Amino acid sequence: MALDLQMPILVVDDYKTMIRIIRNLLKQLGFSDIDDAADGAEAFEKMKQRRYGLVISDWNMEPVTGYELLKQVRQDANLSKTPFIMVTAESKTENVIAAKKAGVNNYIVKPFNAQTLKGKIEAVFAE
Amino acid sequence: MAIKKADVKNVIAFLEENRTRNTEVTLNDVIKLAEVMASSIRDLVHSTSPSITDEFSAISFEIKRMKDEIGRLRVSDMKHNRIPEAGRELDAIVTSTEEATNTIMESAEAIMAADTSDAEAYQAEVTKQVMEIFEACAFQDITGQRISKVVNTLNFIDQRVSKFIEEMRLAQEQEEHQHEETPEERRARELILHGPQHNGEGVSQDDIDALLNGDDKGGDSGSSQDDIDKLFP
Repeated sequence: MALDLQMPILVVDDYKTMIRIIRNLLKQLGFSDIDDAADGAEAFEKMKQRRYGLVISDWNMEPVTGYELLKQVRQDANLSKTPFIMVTAESKTENVIAAKKAGVNNYIVKPFNAQTLKGKIEAVFAE
Repeated sequence: MAIKKADVKNVIAFLEENRTRNTEVTLNDVIKLAEVMASSIRDLVHSTSPSITDEFSAISFEIKRMKDEIGRLRVSDMKHNRIPEAGRELDAIVTSTEEATNTIMESAEAIMAADTSDAEAYQAEVTKQVMEIFEACAFQDITGQRISKVVNTLNFIDQRVSKFIEEMRLAQEQEEHQHEETPEERRARELILHGPQHNGEGVSQDDIDALLNGDDKGGDSGSSQDDIDKLFP
């Protein structure tokens, strides 16, 4: 799948600073259509309203975590194919395996750099 | 041995005194009642059995020791001063790091957006923004001092509670007591919320890549080989 720089991307994180960091990194990578949500519930609502080309989500959020969002998305017939990258400080093997089982496309551990983000996005769309 | 009303008049007086009180019964109230009862009955039983008197004396000594230990905990100081102060320090840390991060990001964004066509103006703008980044980084010094104060408070509480547990011989009872999972703990367990790991714990980005690609089986413990093999056939 080719990388479309025009595709809308949804960034999900409860820290505005992290959203701002990811937004700036994505802009540097050439993406321009970037939306955000503060937790899994808000993200899921936005995803039902608009078709995003990629979701980049934190794990640990309240009330709905990124892990729950991932499972909801994969269970929804209309959204199940949406590429989903987890960006999180949760770095236990248990978390990675759970995310993989739930259908995550890639997994980035915080702190990360632009090169890692770029590499993982490219890897997802090379699948 | 019959107990007469006169023998327990102090107990009755104590209970009468507290009968109409609206506040909750505290551990101190229970200790006080035990003291009053022990001293009232001591005189009564002294004539009949000296060994019982000795038992009451021992109980009285234990009660006094417990009161002293509770006093040494300095619960009021912890509750009204040290813990709220530590909370304020942590709030200040969150605020100052957020402000510093915003300042740094604003400067970085200004540099990225600066017009490069005029080299001299561009250099002046970059210098100005870099100076602001340097200034914002001063938060680290103050944050370090605030964290030290919080750590001191935690040490203060740790020392006193540990000493109290030791003196009250509660350690064994605590170990035997079945810990009941709180709703927060259950949520963390069910949603696999460990939070950030320290250096050397958790897995690196390389380990994660290996897990996702099936090249390796991860760095930390907790998952069986079978679990991982099922994921990456």
